Amino acid sequence: MRVTQGTFSFLPDLTDEQISKQVAYCMRNGWAVNIEYTDDPHPRNTYWEMWGNPMFDLKDPAAVMYELGECRKVHKGRAYIRLSAFDATAGWESLRLSFITDRPENEDGFMLERQEVAGRSMRYTTRAYATDKPVGARY
Amino acid sequence: MDMTTPAIIDIKAAFEASGVGPVLEQLDRDLVGLAPVKRRIREIAALLLVDKLRRDNGLTAQPPTLHMSFTGNPGTGKTTVAARMADILHKLGYIRSNHLVSVTRDDLVGQYIGHTAPKTKEILKKAMGGVLFIDEAYYLYRPENERDYGQEAIEILLQVMENRRDDLVVILAGYADRMERFFTSNPGFRSRIAHHIDFPDYAPDELMQIAEYMLRDQNYRFSPEAKDAFRTYLDARMQQPHFSNARSVRNALDRARLRQAVRLFETRDQALTVDDLMTLGPQEILASRVLAPKPEQAA
Amino acid sequence: MNVVAPKRTGRYDAGVMKYKEMGYFDLDYEPKDTDVLACFRITPQDGVDADEAAAAVAGESSTATWTVVWTDRLTACDKYRAKCYRVDPVPGNPSQYFAYIAYDIELFEPDSIVNLSASIIGNVFGFKPLKALRLEDMRLPISYVKTYHGPATGIVVERERLDKFGRPLLGATVKPKLGLSGRNYGRVVYEALKGGLDFTKDDENINSQNFMHWRDRFLYCMEAVNRAQAMTGEVKGTYLNVSAGDMEQIYERAEFAKELGSTIIMIDLVIGYSAIQSIAKWARRNDMILHLHRAGHSTYTRQKSHGVSFRVIAKWMRLAGVDHIHAGTVVGKLEGDPATTRGYYDICREQYNPQALEHGLFFDQDWGGMRKLMPVASGGIHAGQMHQLLHHLGEDVVLQFGGGTIGHPMGIQAGATANRVALEAMILARNEGRDYLAEGPEILAAAAKTCTPLAQALNVWKDVTFDYASTDTPDFVPTMTPA
Repeated sequence: MRVTQGTFSFLPDLTDEQISKQVAYCMRNGWAVNIEYTDDPHPRNTYWEMWGNPMFDLKDPAAVMYELGECRKVHKGRAYIRLSAFDATAGWESLRLSFITDRPENEDGFMLERQEVAGRSMRYTTRAYATDKPVGARY
Repeated sequence: MDMTTPAIIDIKAAFEASGVGPVLEQLDRDLVGLAPVKRRIREIAALLLVDKLRRDNGLTAQPPTLHMSFTGNPGTGKTTVAARMADILHKLGYIRSNHLVSVTRDDLVGQYIGHTAPKTKEILKKAMGGVLFIDEAYYLYRPENERDYGQEAIEILLQVMENRRDDLVVILAGYADRMERFFTSNPGFRSRIAHHIDFPDYAPDELMQIAEYMLRDQNYRFSPEAKDAFRTYLDARMQQPHFSNARSVRNALDRARLRQAVRLFETRDQALTVDDLMTLGPQEILASRVLAPKPEQAA
Repeated sequence: MNVVAPKRTGRYDAGVMKYKEMGYFDLDYEPKDTDVLACFRITPQDGVDADEAAAAVAGESSTATWTVVWTDRLTACDKYRAKCYRVDPVPGNPSQYFAYIAYDIELFEPDSIVNLSASIIGNVFGFKPLKALRLEDMRLPISYVKTYHGPATGIVVERERLDKFGRPLLGATVKPKLGLSGRNYGRVVYEALKGGLDFTKDDENINSQNFMHWRDRFLYCMEAVNRAQAMTGEVKGTYLNVSAGDMEQIYERAEFAKELGSTIIMIDLVIGYSAIQSIAKWARRNDMILHLHRAGHSTYTRQKSHGVSFRVIAKWMRLAGVDHIHAGTVVGKLEGDPATTRGYYDICREQYNPQALEHGLFFDQDWGGMRKLMPVASGGIHAGQMHQLLHHLGEDVVLQFGGGTIGHPMGIQAGATANRVALEAMILARNEGRDYLAEGPEILAAAAKTCTPLAQALNVWKDVTFDYASTDTPDFVPTMTPA
């Protein structure tokens, strides 16, 4: 399966040149770009690990691509990596763009657990197969 | 390329389109002296322009190495020229944004374990797309202290200079002799530097001209006697230790302006003209300790 | 007025006098920052003076009745009288006028659209001396805006909850509107969500009929949502319509939606303003996004001469606290002039709306920090229009492709995928700085090379457009400045 979180998951994986252009777009808008990675792709896992702090005040996308390269050296193939852009404008103060740049070789997907309760009602739990394994051995 | 009917490449048009011409002219106009520096910059600009044409025509594939070293005594215009160099590189399309980040060792090297790498990377990221100017670069290397964190900064720097040549141009600057020793102990740098520019000290006439430009920019001028006095001052100051060319001129003029203000204030009963406000008199110069007739010790 | 007044000597003598002379008309009145302002389009009956008609509207929408009453004198009556402070002829339409009326804030109960609307549009629209009357726009003072809670969730928090940023959201209304059983209905939801949509939607008249009772719909839909979520790793939702015959049932349905873990519920505009404000407060308390389907609005918003402009409804709904509102597509099958639609979208999404007559906005409107409302574009739109949709409607919008998903030749999943790929390709191109509006067809064609469903969608709907003249267009062209 393919996790389709993020803005560009339905397109073929972005090349570095394409990623760099998206970063340039964020910088033109004055947004700080953040790199995050995780081995738990649950749709409600909000807090992926931060690869350093969000990068403020940079002039050129190369700086973000450099950090992305550093992050890939450690996590590529073993975790999901995404870029997120923060807008500090009043009334926003949240993300304006967030997309996956790298994903594990094999995406294990999710188990949907159902618990039958009163009447025909159902309680649902989504569980990533990867998180059945211990940290470090997931992908 | 078709070898039978050689295509005409219009280097003049390429030069004009780049917009580098006006930058070079402005460099000639604005900066006093520095003839060998200006010559080197023209050479580098020509090389880069031709290299670009060669690449456009498929004759070279590799982007050239652009890292530089600027050597010379303090106050010889290294930082100013570095900013102009960023402008030239930007106009020729070798860097993406026309910006220069100027740092020293303290900006790159941390105080404790684990501090240096993030600090260095932060600076590198801020400079990416433009030019990183490291003044007195040799302070990065302190052989006397084997646990010095400078070595960590050097390694990251070398890596980026090699692997991300498209993203960053590094200019190392400092005294010629110390840079030479630095390169000897860190051959990695020498091999990655493509262009060396040596900044000579200014001649006394050039320093006079610099002084007059500086005053003009701030709407001041010398009276004729003050001008003579300043020439005398310069001759004396250049013989003393810690002379730093244009920087020393600027400091001397700052002090002279202060003395002029004090003089005008103390004679406040007399009527003042705009001319008085603009003019530095000889007394402002002659009051300098450099010219004080005292037994062989000036500071 | 065609009323013959007996000879009078004082303002409070018994009898009938002109509204203009009763204190409802004062061209020198300077509206206060705290006044509620309204702009009406009035069409007086033949022979009725425009100023008197305007004063009558002010009077009838505030304290006046047809005759003088002495009980006015027990009140600080001048404060409670609305004042018509300006009357302008409508450009290019000699029979109509814009009447600007100011109302003291003390005329209104806080946090009550019911009271606001009963005052402003309660009686006056049937007033005989007018052929027609339309409420064009209102300026709600910030002091009054602050008495409302505003959208239960708002655009920013909705995006945070859904973890979807930087692109319009995608939805589809389940079709056919009527007749699907719960089991079949859930199939459409699953296919559309798994194929790439973020939301599916009940239609306005899907409530609880014999072919599908509401609990069945909710149960099958939530099975579909959860299954699609597990298959994609992405947050999904379906707007469960909780509209019902009484408020008790609305709450019951909303509670069941919450129990099943739905992120979003929906209501129809026809449930009424009190019900909307109640369910909006419930939604805020229960972490629920609230979608509003503007069912019925065209009966009074569409004709330019009479009724209430949709921009006023949009303002009221932002105050009332819904999170989504259908606000037009520009390019789709339903009414929507681009400039007028732009005005609606600005009302939903901006913190401050400056006066923009060319977009139909007659007043500056400050929303303070009130949360933003996500406009929804629905009706006759398809993947081939993606560049135009993005250009006209921007990024913070839900694009609802009902037919454009379910009608895909290769099935619902393929239809959903076509829409999502078209959207992501367009956003990518826009962010790269390309002229996506001009290059739209090429961008879509390039994306279709690696996405067969998109290629098929572009082929099937390539020539579908809905190019009819709009009835509700601005009266002002961009170069005009207010008189």
